[in-house]
Amino acid sequence: MKRIAVDVGGTFTDFTIQDELSGELLIAKHLTTPEDPSIGVMEEIDRLAKERKIDLKEVSQVIHGTTFPSNLIIERKGKNTFLITTKGFKDVLENARIKRYDLYDLFIDKPVPLVPRRSIHEVTERMAYDGTILIPLNENEARGVIRELVSLGAESIAVCLLHSYANPIHERMLKKIIEDEFPGTYVSLSSEISANHKEYERTSTTVANAYLMKGVAHYIKNLKEQFEKREFDKNIYIMQSNGGIAASLTMERFPVHMVESGPAAGAQLSAYFGKTLNMDNLLSFEMGGTTAKICPIVKGEPKITDEFEIEKIKLRNGSGLPINIPAIDMIEIGAGGGSIARVNMGLLIVGPDSAGAMPGPMCYGIGGQEPTVTDANLVLGYLNPDFFAGGEIKLDPEASAAGIRDKIARPLGYSIEQAAWGIYEVVTANMARATRVMTIERGYDPRNFVLIAFGGAGPMHGSRVAKTMGIKKLIIPIFAGVASALGMLITDPKFHFSRTYIAKLDRNVMSKMKEIYQELEGIGLENLNRCGAVGTFKYFKSCDVRYFGQGHEINVSVLEDDLSDNGAEMLKTRFNEEYKRNYGYVDEGAEIEVVTFKLTAVCLRLRFELKTGLKESKGTDPKKGERGIYIPEEKGFRSCLIYDREKLYKSFKATGPAIVEERTSSTVIFPGDVLEVDGLGNLVITLNEREKKGK
Amino acid sequence: MKIKKIDPVTLSVIWGGFVAIAAEMGATLRRTAFSEVVREGMDFSPGIFDGKERLVAQGDYSPGHLGSMPFAVKSVLQYFPRETLQPGDVLLMNDLYMGSGHLPDFFMITPVFYKNQIIGYTVNCCHQQDVGGAGSGSTVVMNVSECFQEGIRILPVKIYKEGKPNEDIFRIIEANVRVPEKVVGDMKAQVNANYVGGTRILEMVETYGIYQLNGYIDEILDRSEQAMREAIRKIPDGDYPFQDYLDDCGEGTEPILVNVTVRIRDSEAIIDFAGSSPQTESGLNSMLNYTRAYAYFALKCLTEPSIPQNGGCMRPVEVTAPLGSFFNPKFPAAGGGRAMVSHRIFEVVVGALAPVLKERVIAGHSQGATPCFGGTHPQTGRHFVCVDLIKGSFGARPFKDGADALVCSMNPRNIPVEAHEQKFPILVECLQFIPDSGGPGKFRGGVGVRKDIRTLSKMKLFNLTDRFRFAPYGLFGGKSGAKGATVLRRGSEEIPLHSKGAYNLEQGDVVSFVISGAGGYGNPMERDVQMVLKDVAGGYVSIEGAKTDYGVIIDPTTMTVDHEATKKLRQTLEERNGR
Repeated sequence: MKRIAVDVGGTFTDFTIQDELSGELLIAKHLTTPEDPSIGVMEEIDRLAKERKIDLKEVSQVIHGTTFPSNLIIERKGKNTFLITTKGFKDVLENARIKRYDLYDLFIDKPVPLVPRRSIHEVTERMAYDGTILIPLNENEARGVIRELVSLGAESIAVCLLHSYANPIHERMLKKIIEDEFPGTYVSLSSEISANHKEYERTSTTVANAYLMKGVAHYIKNLKEQFEKREFDKNIYIMQSNGGIAASLTMERFPVHMVESGPAAGAQLSAYFGKTLNMDNLLSFEMGGTTAKICPIVKGEPKITDEFEIEKIKLRNGSGLPINIPAIDMIEIGAGGGSIARVNMGLLIVGPDSAGAMPGPMCYGIGGQEPTVTDANLVLGYLNPDFFAGGEIKLDPEASAAGIRDKIARPLGYSIEQAAWGIYEVVTANMARATRVMTIERGYDPRNFVLIAFGGAGPMHGSRVAKTMGIKKLIIPIFAGVASALGMLITDPKFHFSRTYIAKLDRNVMSKMKEIYQELEGIGLENLNRCGAVGTFKYFKSCDVRYFGQGHEINVSVLEDDLSDNGAEMLKTRFNEEYKRNYGYVDEGAEIEVVTFKLTAVCLRLRFELKTGLKESKGTDPKKGERGIYIPEEKGFRSCLIYDREKLYKSFKATGPAIVEERTSSTVIFPGDVLEVDGLGNLVITLNEREKKGK
Repeated sequence: MKIKKIDPVTLSVIWGGFVAIAAEMGATLRRTAFSEVVREGMDFSPGIFDGKERLVAQGDYSPGHLGSMPFAVKSVLQYFPRETLQPGDVLLMNDLYMGSGHLPDFFMITPVFYKNQIIGYTVNCCHQQDVGGAGSGSTVVMNVSECFQEGIRILPVKIYKEGKPNEDIFRIIEANVRVPEKVVGDMKAQVNANYVGGTRILEMVETYGIYQLNGYIDEILDRSEQAMREAIRKIPDGDYPFQDYLDDCGEGTEPILVNVTVRIRDSEAIIDFAGSSPQTESGLNSMLNYTRAYAYFALKCLTEPSIPQNGGCMRPVEVTAPLGSFFNPKFPAAGGGRAMVSHRIFEVVVGALAPVLKERVIAGHSQGATPCFGGTHPQTGRHFVCVDLIKGSFGARPFKDGADALVCSMNPRNIPVEAHEQKFPILVECLQFIPDSGGPGKFRGGVGVRKDIRTLSKMKLFNLTDRFRFAPYGLFGGKSGAKGATVLRRGSEEIPLHSKGAYNLEQGDVVSFVISGAGGYGNPMERDVQMVLKDVAGGYVSIEGAKTDYGVIIDPTTMTVDHEATKKLRQTLEERNGR
């Protein structure tokens, strides 16, 4: 039997197909068909059936990841979504958090809410923070409100009531009314989507889910039908932003979990390669055309965050729509191959704006008028003009050089090469800086990490980014061109659940704690069963704990023993230890409170084995030529060997300067860096010591 | 000590590096803080100073802290010349005159040592929830006449000596504030932030060498100054006056005149508050540092908003006010309520330059309220201080409406209702936009906001807001936003409260805070009819408001515009306005 992963991206739809017995891997790419992505998917499936004899009857599992939900939001294509909230609070959504994301700019705007104010309706009810009902839900009124919504065209209804995380009864009553009166209407309850405190963020998350429900349900239904037509009768799994896969049925109810699934799959792949190399702590660094995405992997697992933002304006924190669900923790920086370089105030600035694929870098020759990072890489010799996208696109180095000369070198009094190196160095510094702030904020020292770089531009910049942060090892993974699709193949069914319940951590809270975990485990089991997943079901419990009065919580694992009578004491000890590790001191006498209970439900399947078809020993000579590349320490070009990645073999070694070329990218190995190919074909590069930049 | 050649790439990298360090300091402070004001409201600011005590970079947080910081650092270091400082020392100061104009703002300054030499300072300012004094939150306006009534006042001291906390001083502070565990917790977060910043600066020194790094700092400051000068030079030379008012400084007091003249001379600007009211005998005064901070901030928004803030940007700007006036009061005048003044300082500078910067200015904005509830928590028996940050909207802009529910001038976050109710004996009854409160104009001012809070136990309220008497102005034919109000509902009674009053509340009282709307821009009769219709559909403007404010007739059943009638009405209204 075979497993297929299909990843629909903005430009390409990637396919990875693995034979479960032999481990053999097949890769394919097809242009994405944005209007209806299933067209492109099925065209390729049909082609694979015909040309590669991939019979869907022989396929045990299809895993799917897609940017479709994100596009629905970005293009505001969702329709007829309404919100019901507590009387007096219809403006929580638009009021948001009021802070400006740019202090000095008087012309900023907030993102357009997914549900306009006129589509927000109130019902009479009120819950207290501890779940006490202060005003019971007025059911008659609620019924009237719901009828009105439907008469106004509501197809999907979000329900977010104050303090519903503490007691969801009113939200559930509303759901029942909607389902009784108008079966088929989509409903999203905040207590099911994001049962955590802070009303704005919870509302925003619930509304995003409601906004996606109809579109995603149709999308999945259509895709299923297409597969069923071809006699595929098994499950289709969907990649989630938490780095796990879920049954498509689950995602029809919780589509908001799909919005960052692409990067999540990439991070899963990085974690997998880390494990095969016995490297536990990695920074997954994906640099594409427009942005770079960085995700820390700690102790073998991608870090999970409970909150992130979509649609950030200029990638600024606080400018986007908050989504409070568990997702792979990552930052996005406005630094990619297409990032535009310019001179401002006598300074060299790169990004965050990008020439993207259209008009693209100047060397594409399709209208780009501004020099970009890709143009700099071409001038520096890091990119091969005749082997871009495997030679399908010819690059024009003259155009790059002319652009850099006119727009950068002349205004700064630089040579063209100096200017190109300047672009390279500034964009590298931007990425390294943001990465460092990110790791430090989360309490990690980047020097203890390995950088794993992919995406079209990642392998060209990985070495310098790593060195700037004091990182000593770099991995350029194999099959980096289809990283997300490959990541999906190695991903297990996984779900994260959480519930806010604020109480003093002592004996008295233990019974409530058990009750919450039991409930969460029940939901976990239900979701795993729905996956029809084969393997061992595991539940990991943890709890966000803080000093009474403090805002910052620390996540502490909860073991079975902790649920016993003196569990509170053990949890306290563990919290204090963790706090000390983070901040260097402990407040012994201080009271401690629990805030949010969390549960991860995962189905651990048989171990995944990747066979890459790497040669055991030297076959054809991997050397494909020589050319001059810019060496910054020498302020000039030096001739170096160019290797063909497809011809590299196990334990192949090389010392920089050198270039390894593949269809989707080009790896730059600087002088003193040492390359060795591992058993799978990953390039493992030991970096030269960080040198001082003084002159 | 000019270095020979500035490399633009290195300059970019170093400059960005300093800005990132300031951001990292802010993240550390917030992550380890205890109070709602800091961790949810984000009322704090970090900064980095070089060995010559010049501001090199700041995190983009509160303008009041940011603009005061260079002056605060200078004052503190006069008490502690460099030879008196050791590695591990941390300096603390909260004096309102040396600092940012009120006692709750604690400045922490940590020298950064490299090879036994001070090469810089990491600094942050953080709004403490309470510092004692006449009322909870320490921002009381009425019945306060001297700063001695406002809480504990700390002239510069070493709060840490060579890495060890000065327990004596901590104990004095603990004894004088209402919520010692929060204050001490936030102070430790402040120390953490400076420590992280210092570590990062030393890493930069390791990379570039101190000599080179200093050379680049000179360059950063010089270029920032240059950019600011060029931006000011684009404004025609001249004296630009503007007047507005603060309602008063307590029941029965007179309005406070805010009079500014912005003098543009080539590449320099003098912002002069002469002619404003004299200092008041209340907690409402604007210390010169605070006046400087917001006046400077307004000018930066209008001229060069994009470059990162530092000492160089501030060089071509001078802010003055006569000693003894409201904007430069004499010791021991009090200043606890000064947050209310920030809005007006910003507005008058913008208003003054409006005639010559028509396409860069915005109309008057919503006056926020920062009321404080205080008392004994019925469940814990401990004192609580509950500060709220209720904010409104942006003034209308040259090409678009004022953003609804986006804070102008100050820049805190609001505090979630759910977070507030968990901690304090209050119940929020509503948080909603007020229809027809945004100033009409070709572009509409942002709406005012109403928030009602019910008390669940006896407590005190110290109100702090404004714009009950003088509405936020419109520009170029745009109308003012609606005025604000605070109303107490007790049983069936509705009692208007004063904007700066102190009140004893009973359990079950409801206080309704009505935040003013923002001013409009341009003639409302020229507003696109479809935009008026959209506002009506969203409930930002009522059908009646569309008619009287915009001359647009909308049929309430079909929700369509009667274009004929609209044309006629607009004509009539225009004629009545004498156009």
